[in-house]
Amino acid sequence: MTSSKNVRTTPGVHLGKVMAALRRSPPLVAFLLSALLFLITILINPRGFNNRFIGSLILLTTLLAISSAGQTLVLIGGGMDFSVGAVMSAAAIITTYTMDKQDSLMIYLQVLALSLVMGAAVGLLNGFFVIRIGLPAMIVTMAVSNIITRLQYVFTSGSPAGWAGQKFVDSVIYRFFDLIPAIVLYAAVFMPIVFWLLNRSKFGKQVYMVGNNRQAALLTGVRVNWVIIATYVISGMMSAFAGILGAGYKATARVDIFGEYAFTSLVAVIVGGTTFSGGVGTYGGTIAGALLMTVLSNLLTTLRLPQTSRDILNGLIIILLLMTYNRSKAVRQ
Amino acid sequence: MNTLSVSLNKFRRTPAFTGFVLFVIALLMNILMQGINSGKPLAFFNPNSYSSLLMTNAPFILTAMAQSLLLIVGLLDISIGIQLALVNVVCIMVPQELGVPIWVGWLCAMGASLLISAMVGACSAVLRLPAMLVGYAFIFIVKGINVAIMSKPQGKVPREIYLPYQNPVAGVLPIALLVLLAVFGLWLLIKRRPLGKHLYAVGGNPRNAYAAGISPVKVQMQANLLKGFIVGIGGICLTLMNASGNPLQAEDYGLRSLIACILGGLGFGGWGSMACGVFGASFFVLIQNTVYHFFSYLTKVISGFAASTYWQNLVSDIILLLGLLVTIITAKEQRKTLKEGLLKQFKGGAARDKQ
Repeated sequence: MTSSKNVRTTPGVHLGKVMAALRRSPPLVAFLLSALLFLITILINPRGFNNRFIGSLILLTTLLAISSAGQTLVLIGGGMDFSVGAVMSAAAIITTYTMDKQDSLMIYLQVLALSLVMGAAVGLLNGFFVIRIGLPAMIVTMAVSNIITRLQYVFTSGSPAGWAGQKFVDSVIYRFFDLIPAIVLYAAVFMPIVFWLLNRSKFGKQVYMVGNNRQAALLTGVRVNWVIIATYVISGMMSAFAGILGAGYKATARVDIFGEYAFTSLVAVIVGGTTFSGGVGTYGGTIAGALLMTVLSNLLTTLRLPQTSRDILNGLIIILLLMTYNRSKAVRQ
Repeated sequence: MNTLSVSLNKFRRTPAFTGFVLFVIALLMNILMQGINSGKPLAFFNPNSYSSLLMTNAPFILTAMAQSLLLIVGLLDISIGIQLALVNVVCIMVPQELGVPIWVGWLCAMGASLLISAMVGACSAVLRLPAMLVGYAFIFIVKGINVAIMSKPQGKVPREIYLPYQNPVAGVLPIALLVLLAVFGLWLLIKRRPLGKHLYAVGGNPRNAYAAGISPVKVQMQANLLKGFIVGIGGICLTLMNASGNPLQAEDYGLRSLIACILGGLGFGGWGSMACGVFGASFFVLIQNTVYHFFSYLTKVISGFAASTYWQNLVSDIILLLGLLVTIITAKEQRKTLKEGLLKQFKGGAARDKQ
């Protein structure tokens, strides 16, 4: 009798430990879920499991992870940046318009400078309005983001603007060993900077402090307003950088081409364990979240469902994801 | 005189004051600009002019009214725009495919709206997921349902049904205005009943409301159903206005109605009233109309001046941002409530734990 009891309870205990470990680490959950969904994708369509598939998975994950970096920073600081998509699209248009099929170091520098200045300017506007108007960041950045999109329409008259240079396009989508896309080289430079900024720099510590408790940060001598504005400026610049790479990926750009990234980046960051409340979150989690979102979208494509069922399934899965992480406590508790 | 100034002072302290100021400014600008553009100073007061303005924008104003109900109770829904399209699609497709009378289609549409609202409410109120992301997920779900019901824009409404809506009663009174007044009247009724008090109590502080014997989940669900009812009316207005169906229209009403409500002075939870939503949405509409008249006047006056609608949209959106700036002056005291409410909205339990 007793032995059978033991057999029954032991797995339960282990399961409890595993569940507790999972609950402590949303990035781990996101990573495991990605692995699971990835496995399902392969099982559904074994023939689709090839170098091209893996390569595009890495490429899209990297692009989403880079574009979610700024959002991570802003959310940790207790704000929210809805202009990620608009800034990315604007930077992509600047890139293709300036390059116009040409490749040279001068043009690259020009694109980089123009886009980063644009991103920084939008970020400054966001930060300034969030501090000055005192309205919720969501509403303010949404209003600014609308204006950026309207500007794109005025600038391009609604039609695609120019082409990225071929060499630049190759520098994003070329596959090493026929497998690994060249965008990982950009990521190899970009991601360590983000990690350093969040985990090692003084500024990173201040962002966590401000997100955790603005009043306490103020009392310890942190210039809270400046830190908040800086998070928006950096976010704008990072989104602009992601937009340049996005232009390389798509080769041409039209208005609002990356508009959906405003929400996709937000969901990726949240799924990666960063909270709306600020002060909590890691960039590693965001990368796991980006992987999960990309694998999910791949799975939905592999299922070859009609667009309607795909949309419905996508919505339901987002709800399920939210249920695993983001339930708030009941009022009774 | 004294009573007038007292009541004026009282009005200045109400949440709707910000929205009212913006609304009056936009209205005056619109009357002025339309007068200049058409050459007749009172062009705005032509029944055809104001009734078509009301008719085309009644769905948006109703959306903002529905959104304001959710904001009062501490929730929000950005999929509210695409829900309007759902109502429109059901209104058109049920009579067309099943051959039933139009009013049955309308009833089904209202049912669909209530059902979707109950589902959104179940996710945000019962499961306590962040309302913003629930709305984002439901944009996909509702869009999928819409396209499943109606694959491409089609269908029509019989002439004898849409004409009365599009033409003002007795030549001066637009039906759309009557619909708006009826919904607002319903709100005034509810506000005076216990449910109204409960909405504010739960929005202000769900914990205290619970301690006082009110069930926050129940009240939030009721707010969601009321929202579904208003969205249903808005969707029927949309159908009568377009006299056809489109499964993918009005999606941007979701985010825009949210901005309109905030412009109108609503806070998150327990602050503001439906009037805020009405004023905010009307400000939106009047600014767009004013900018349209401004540009068409410029085109007339300056030879060779041609501005695309892209420019008009840009100028409208810049004015909306300036509108947000204006609220600094008019609504300083409201800010704190608003911010605390929004934090609660997003942080959910995390924020409560910290306190």
